[in-house]
Amino acid sequence: MNSNHKRLSIGGRIDREQPVEFTFDGRSLIGYRGDTLASALLANGVTLVGRSFKYHRPRGIFSAGPEEPNALVTLATAGRRQPNLPATTLELEDGLVAESQNRWPSLAFDVQSINGLLAPFLSAGFYYKTFMGPTRRAWMFYEHFIRKAAGLGRAGSGHDPDRYDISHAFADVAIWGGGPAGLSAACAAATAGARVALIEQDFLLGGQLLAEQSDSAAAAWLRQAEAELESSETVTLMKRTTAFGIYDGNVIGLVEQRDPSNPQLAGEARQTFTMLRARSIVLATGAIERPMVFSNNDRPGVMLASAARSYLNRFAVLPGKKIIVATSNDGAWRAAFDLADAGAEVIVADVRAAPSTALAAEAGRLGVVVRAATRIVDLNGGHAVRRATLNGPDGQPEAACDLVCVSGGWSPTVHLTSHLGVKPQYRDDIGGFVPGAFPADRFGAGSMMGTYSTAGAIEDGHRAGIAAAWFCGKSMPVPAPSKLDLGETATALLREAPSIGRGKAFVDFQMDVTTGDIELAHREGYESVEHLKRYTTLGMGTDQGKTSNFAALASMAALRNATIPETGATTFRPPYTPVAIGALAGCAIGHHFKPIRRTPMHDWHMANGAEMIEVGLWMRPFFYRQSGRDSNEAYIAEMRSVRQAAGLMDISTLGKIDVQGPDAAIFLDRIYANGFAKLPVGRARYGVMLRDDGIVFDDGTTTRLAENRFFMTTSTAKAADVLSRLEFLLDTAWPDLRVAVTSVSDEWAAMSVAGPKSRAILSAAFPVLDVSDAAFAHMGLLESEWQGRALRILRLSYSGERAYEIYVGATAGEQLWSRLLEAGRPFDLKPYGVEALGALRVEKGHVAGPEIDGRTTLDDLGLGRMAGKRTGFVGDVLRRRPAFQAPDRQRLVGLECIEEGKRLRGGAILFLPGEKPYGHGRGRVTSVTFSPERGHYVGLALLAGDVASEGSEVVAVYPMKAETVRARIASPVFLDPQGERLHG
Amino acid sequence: MASPDFSLSVADCPLIQIEGWDGTLGQFEKSLSALLGTKLPDSVGETVRQKGLLVIRVAPRRLWLALDDGLEAPSLAVDPDLGCSVSLGEGRERFRMAGAHIAPVLSKCITVDWRAPAAAPGRAVLTSLHHVPVLFLRTGDAACELIVPRSFSRSLSDWIADAAG
Amino acid sequence: MLRIECPCCGLRDHDEFRYGGDASVTRPAHDDPDPQAWYAYVYIRANPAGLHREFWQHVTGCRQWLVVERDTRNHAIASVELARKLAPRKSLARKSPA
Repeated sequence: MNSNHKRLSIGGRIDREQPVEFTFDGRSLIGYRGDTLASALLANGVTLVGRSFKYHRPRGIFSAGPEEPNALVTLATAGRRQPNLPATTLELEDGLVAESQNRWPSLAFDVQSINGLLAPFLSAGFYYKTFMGPTRRAWMFYEHFIRKAAGLGRAGSGHDPDRYDISHAFADVAIWGGGPAGLSAACAAATAGARVALIEQDFLLGGQLLAEQSDSAAAAWLRQAEAELESSETVTLMKRTTAFGIYDGNVIGLVEQRDPSNPQLAGEARQTFTMLRARSIVLATGAIERPMVFSNNDRPGVMLASAARSYLNRFAVLPGKKIIVATSNDGAWRAAFDLADAGAEVIVADVRAAPSTALAAEAGRLGVVVRAATRIVDLNGGHAVRRATLNGPDGQPEAACDLVCVSGGWSPTVHLTSHLGVKPQYRDDIGGFVPGAFPADRFGAGSMMGTYSTAGAIEDGHRAGIAAAWFCGKSMPVPAPSKLDLGETATALLREAPSIGRGKAFVDFQMDVTTGDIELAHREGYESVEHLKRYTTLGMGTDQGKTSNFAALASMAALRNATIPETGATTFRPPYTPVAIGALAGCAIGHHFKPIRRTPMHDWHMANGAEMIEVGLWMRPFFYRQSGRDSNEAYIAEMRSVRQAAGLMDISTLGKIDVQGPDAAIFLDRIYANGFAKLPVGRARYGVMLRDDGIVFDDGTTTRLAENRFFMTTSTAKAADVLSRLEFLLDTAWPDLRVAVTSVSDEWAAMSVAGPKSRAILSAAFPVLDVSDAAFAHMGLLESEWQGRALRILRLSYSGERAYEIYVGATAGEQLWSRLLEAGRPFDLKPYGVEALGALRVEKGHVAGPEIDGRTTLDDLGLGRMAGKRTGFVGDVLRRRPAFQAPDRQRLVGLECIEEGKRLRGGAILFLPGEKPYGHGRGRVTSVTFSPERGHYVGLALLAGDVASEGSEVVAVYPMKAETVRARIASPVFLDPQGERLHG
Repeated sequence: MASPDFSLSVADCPLIQIEGWDGTLGQFEKSLSALLGTKLPDSVGETVRQKGLLVIRVAPRRLWLALDDGLEAPSLAVDPDLGCSVSLGEGRERFRMAGAHIAPVLSKCITVDWRAPAAAPGRAVLTSLHHVPVLFLRTGDAACELIVPRSFSRSLSDWIADAAG
Repeated sequence: MLRIECPCCGLRDHDEFRYGGDASVTRPAHDDPDPQAWYAYVYIRANPAGLHREFWQHVTGCRQWLVVERDTRNHAIASVELARKLAPRKSLARKSPA
């Protein structure tokens, strides 16, 4: 067949000068710029486009918009795979490659359509009944086959080569929908002085006006409105943009498709996820036409009447030559007239007894055959409809056809208004749900509110635009809108009962839910709409039941002999249409997944063999590759070098807080469990903070720089939490304390020189400073300058060795680091990483994050003496509660591995010898290291106090690796309990 | 990176923070104003420029003094009974951005409405870029600066460059 | 997304803020030795369906702690104030500041 044989030679909004090549299931086809994939397929005579979800029934193009339940395709071009896209919303672009879904081996010949024959077994509830309860094991066996047989398109598994962006936008008034109501609202709001964002999912503005002939008055009105909006500086037109949800604070989630017709955008994001913040919102989302329910109503060639009109007038495609228009209202007659005018033979089957005389007269003029009080009961034809069985006053005549247009009335698109809890309300006069009462900053207009005439929608939009602008304080005078009357007649809707012949009658095309399934649900007691939905999967497809919802409600209402409001409606939730995960992630993937923090010495580490590790957001050296062949060998070598000579560690990641003010000492006294008020100037002190509930919060060292000024360090992990907590106490509890707290974490590069040779290295690096023990004692401070930057040296130890923490202005960090290594070379100074740092502190019995885990108290950690009898500090009262004193409360102990060649593991569960290793045990191992000092693994553990006697044995069980190892309870301090090495 | 559409350069950012105590704020600001020879910005987000010095109010009792390149920091003797100061210039970097595409690039980085009065030239906005606290300074019709923590600087400049690229 | 009108910085997205819990409970004085008072402050919550006073800190902004009145049923925010304005003024046995 020749290409585009269903295309008309004139009319439409396509550009015949710009042909577009595309591929569908391997066939090369031609469409035009301005086509959707669906319109181009129809123009090429492709009527079979997919197979249904469960029964693999052949399906065609049903709609011309995002409500499409059938024509879902997978886009599959070079390395990309995006499944389940409605062909009706895909803008045709050069090189587009689409595949039909859920068929094997081919669309026309699908072996699984045999599922149709198995249909009696695949009804609603089939899975529950078959595979739950005693037969559940069968599910394990059959799941694979069932999942393969039922379903939609398949996603790709490769890396997505496309780029996605996230952006932020602002407007006074956001208007959702670019049809007559939305356009009119946008013009009015902009004239009133508001900044307007007009959101339209289509690549053209106009909504239903696009289905009017391109030389009509409607088209002229549209051109004028578009020109007005394009020329306005305060209006942003967002075409190709789907609003998928409204969220708190009037934040609207938008996904914008890249314009494929603009070659300049080729490198830009394929989709942009925009969060639009608006002060008020006008919803003008239109309405969706309802299908009719009869046997085999899902055959390819059955189409919504408004869609057929849109394909004819917008895309210049005549989708059929012998057409039956089945309707329950006046609207579909306009499709019948236009189709007849374009040369098709048309029969109108109207379920109503007496359609208006005006319509009948026009039908007569155009040669349209009218059958009143007539409905379709069955359709014939496999891959395309061939014949319809009608039922009316003339009996059951059959009629040949190649297209069946259906219209069961209209449903206002209330999905979006439901997102923030506006409940739909049933309006009997229009036979549909409209939104209930809006909050003050939201407005509705047009057919979404049940105003179905174009003239009414324009009036409605105008009023809503003015009101929404007024809400934002914009109230410049707005002239009346230019009128457009398409002469639509008000349509009294007949509550139409489904008429069923021999075949299945579908309610939800995408989920393959039939009237039979609804009857079954009713019979089995699933009468509430929420139960109905879950039992039958009605409305749970990617189309969210946009075309099916109302028919299902009406069926259930009829079965229950109830009204529609009594039956109720389900709740719609975001997203309105599916959103690609890529768009939500935007550019926050790969190295941008989270922001990365680098210390001032980062580049040195990278250039000098450091294996880096993420610690929170920080990148830190894990170990240095020159220290050993693997991490185990390296950290032990780095530990030895600290214990025997000296090591240099980048500790810039520590949280650092400047605390200043006349009441700073009083403040510190309240926030630390141990006292600081009497700390002399020039001295540092280790401090522990508690939470209000008496649990340890964080630890660190605070140094008194001056009478009114302290320099606090926190753990790397808790830096932000501690600062926030200090600010909380100052703002909410003790605002009379004159204290300022400021993060200076980024201000200082920090490094620790640890080991017996550290003093000699310091002295070599800073010849002008007196670092003798007499001048610079343990826990002392030395302040100076280096290369014009402030320098602070604290004599503190974490490893148990003599050690110094050196702080210098961040911009000089790398320079000082190199200087220290150079000065330390004669003393064998080596850099070490966080693995060795952790191992050194375990050997010394210092607690850290694994022990300060938000569950332990000072007493648990053996630090109770720090608080002594002090009172009046945070956590003081609740730390003394009786439960914390229970004899079996877990407390810190040391463990030594006593099995040759075995190791301890962090996370192992502790049991008594002979105890069955089951449940939570008596405690757990928190931190471990190999101890070069002891020659075996040692660890810290939290162990029930009533069994934690030093010298006795426990069994450490690690089920993840099926390991069991015996250990002896010891003091947590494995090295130098007298602390002599601090001065060594 | 530099093009007529968008340019980004990174520089050091000499910066001093000054804070006054609750209760004596009037007295503190009067003396500070005299010391600097200029009136102080009234509310958070306002700035005052004085001889190579930009005074920004970042909190009700807290001001930042950002110095132009190469300028020596003024010696500020703050009466400890009225307030305190702390130097923050080692720990911040300053991104300078300009170009015709600056607004769309920035919209992919920060939640600041380029057209709002709060973001007009001369205004400052404290906000976040990829969850990191940054100070946005609008310096011209198509120009702005971000003052960012040094440890995040490379990660954030990469982000902006990717948003522009 | 919640948007909170910071009294210093204007209307901002909630991801610029840090949540700080119930602001309707009264914190005992720092040296209050009564375990019942601390127990009530730390653990007892009304959890209302309706207006709820809660602390938020504008952590990537002016760093001020705020008291926000939020309706837990629909996230509507009725008021936002600086916590410092509402806080008790005296925790220190001191003569009034100079």
